[in-house]
Amino acid sequence: MRFRELLVVCVTAVLAVCSGAQDITGTIVIKKKMSKPSVTAAVSVYQRGPVVKLGKDSEEDPLAYERSRVVLYIEGPGPAANEIASPTAEVQQIDRRFMPQLVVVPVGSTVSFPNMDPIFHNIYSLSKPKSFDLGSYDKGETRRVTFPKPGIVNIYCHLHPNMSATIVVTPNRWYARPDRSGQYRIQNVPPGQYTLVAWHQSAGFFRKTIRVEAGNDSVADFFIPLELEPKQEAQATQFPGPASGLR
Amino acid sequence: LITRFRTRAFLICFIPFALLLASSFWMIQRFVQSTVRDGLHTSLRESQVAIASIHSKGDLQNSRFLRVAGENSALKAGMQLLLANPGNETARRTVEDQLRELGEHMGFDFMLVSAPDGSPVAGVVRHAAAQTEKHGQLIPLDLSLVDRNRAGFLLLGGRTFQVASVPVDENDENIGLLSVGEYFDFSDLTTHVALVRNGRVIDSNIPDVPFNELERELDSCNGPSECDLLLKGTRWISLPMEHYGGGFVLLSFENVDEATAPTQSKLHKLFLALSFVCVLVAFVCSVGSSGSIVKPIAAVVSHLRNAVRTGKLSELEVQHSSILEIQELAEIYNCAAVSVRAAGENLEAAYLEFVGSLANALDARDRYTAGHSSRVSQLSCATASAMGLGLEEVERIRIGALLHDIGKIGIADNVLQKSGRLTDQEFAIVKQHPVIGRRILEAVQGFAPFLSAVELHHENWDGTGYPRGQVGEETPIDARIIHVSDAYDAMTTDRSYRRGMTHEKAISILTENAGTQFDPRIVHAFVALPIEILTKQSQTPSTRDEVEQPAVTVAI
Repeated sequence: MRFRELLVVCVTAVLAVCSGAQDITGTIVIKKKMSKPSVTAAVSVYQRGPVVKLGKDSEEDPLAYERSRVVLYIEGPGPAANEIASPTAEVQQIDRRFMPQLVVVPVGSTVSFPNMDPIFHNIYSLSKPKSFDLGSYDKGETRRVTFPKPGIVNIYCHLHPNMSATIVVTPNRWYARPDRSGQYRIQNVPPGQYTLVAWHQSAGFFRKTIRVEAGNDSVADFFIPLELEPKQEAQATQFPGPASGLR
Repeated sequence: LITRFRTRAFLICFIPFALLLASSFWMIQRFVQSTVRDGLHTSLRESQVAIASIHSKGDLQNSRFLRVAGENSALKAGMQLLLANPGNETARRTVEDQLRELGEHMGFDFMLVSAPDGSPVAGVVRHAAAQTEKHGQLIPLDLSLVDRNRAGFLLLGGRTFQVASVPVDENDENIGLLSVGEYFDFSDLTTHVALVRNGRVIDSNIPDVPFNELERELDSCNGPSECDLLLKGTRWISLPMEHYGGGFVLLSFENVDEATAPTQSKLHKLFLALSFVCVLVAFVCSVGSSGSIVKPIAAVVSHLRNAVRTGKLSELEVQHSSILEIQELAEIYNCAAVSVRAAGENLEAAYLEFVGSLANALDARDRYTAGHSSRVSQLSCATASAMGLGLEEVERIRIGALLHDIGKIGIADNVLQKSGRLTDQEFAIVKQHPVIGRRILEAVQGFAPFLSAVELHHENWDGTGYPRGQVGEETPIDARIIHVSDAYDAMTTDRSYRRGMTHEKAISILTENAGTQFDPRIVHAFVALPIEILTKQSQTPSTRDEVEQPAVTVAI
């Protein structure tokens, strides 16, 4: 185990040295679950009338689910999406849910919202970085939104109040999401001092100043404390971090 | 109609008794029945009030629910979507999906969205197969089934839903109407109810009563108050419980017979037992009283019957009866009996006097035979008594003997009073006296028993007598006895032409002629008579010296 870790560190160090940039790595530690993942039945199911039991997806590890709701990024200017190959993310509307429910895109990216359900859906956002209303549209139709400003955008459906998703628009392309075990890696960060942000969908922002030196990977671990009452509403408005940090 | 006094008394006693009992029991039963019914009415009314208050609470809650549901922004968005895309399948499906979710959350069995013009545009209803399950599925509703003028209730494929509606407004503009409904189910009601619309029964939970029969019965009572019905032979009370809109009325029913049955059967048993006992007592009392009423009268009747049979009007024993009327009756009867008896005695006395006067008349005609009749009478009586004849017969013989020579009245004086031997012609005239006597007496009804004694007292045992020449016992015993006594008296009595024989001589002549002239049995009895009687009789006669023909001659 130790040996393997060492090997990984060595390999990444070599890679970093070769490219002239280093990675930021670390572990997200969450010890308590904060939210319940909800499961909805397929829409088509109801059209015929069999009984569908709604409940939790018990197969998923609740802590791994919490870790999946974390996004890490570096504040401040950096290479944006359009400067690189502009990646396009997709948020489906299926079974009366947004899928995936958390998307991370660098600023300037375009997100497409295809409707996969046999009923109308509507997508709107009231978040500051980008407020929009795509209106209601039918199955098979796709509508797109480009996010020119960084920030956290919560999207909803007028027709289905329980539908929600979050799009995190990062100020640069240095972002990462932890894997199931909580390990993350932001690759190819040039040496310098940065503010590393860990954002949890329920728990909010956690910041750390980190120094990246050439040839060395920096390590930053985050212990995300659990708040009993997630500040869901606060998140949309309270978003001074990336935007202000950018300027 | 002739009935026995006892029967009459019994009926007069028993019938009013029984009628009184029956009517009083009937009235008590009616009273109890009406009391039970009143109780039932009260309980019905109370339950109605209770249900109404619960219902109004439920209405309030429903209206709150509804207001919340009407303000649902997602639903509004869906309805706007539907208005914007009329006829769009997906839009309808979207709203149906919303309604389903809303309905599942709020527990409605029926949800419908209508356009502002009232036409239904999307709806869900609980799956028919699952209507009894708590968590049955809401499925899309076939809108063609929905009645546009729904009010209060909605009928869907044989199911009834109680429906309430709320308008949905967006920015002060009406965008449609939301109707929610619950399956109207009687199954959890413990009372019997029926849902009626304009006289037509839509649903009822009264077992085994077809709707049309219920309708027919309900036809007769269209009032706001309770109403009595007869369903399948049992009596029910129906009471309107709740008036919904659109002519829908919920009626509650209560089975009167069932409710009163336990009390009724108890009362029935009690009354039956009581009435049976009472009627039995009444019967016994009636029988006893009728018996006791009739008993003194029966005693009187049996006494009278006995009196009729014996012919003697004996007096009633008054002190035996405790009843005043019976005592009075007995007293009156006794008076009557006394007077009747007195009258009878008077009559008899008069009759005897008459007989005596006839005999006297005869004696007045023929001085020689004076006292003859009475002597013959006494002798005949003594003989008859000695032979063991009854009192009546003896009496008859006595009078018969007194009258036996009455016919001599009709014989001419020159013949009858002739001193000396009679010629054959004269004797033939004398021999007519029995027939003449009979003819005289025949005219008087009371002398009928003595006719034979008068007519036949000269018949001989061997048939040589006159007027008929009868043999032996053809001649009645009266005549035979008188014949012997007459002969003896004639022989022992002095006559103008001879002296009377001695007793011994006369007896010997009688004995000699026993079997020829006289009945030997009577002669036997006669000669056995105490000497005093015979001689006294023979000495008593007057000492007249006229001598009649000897007995033998008389006998001829």
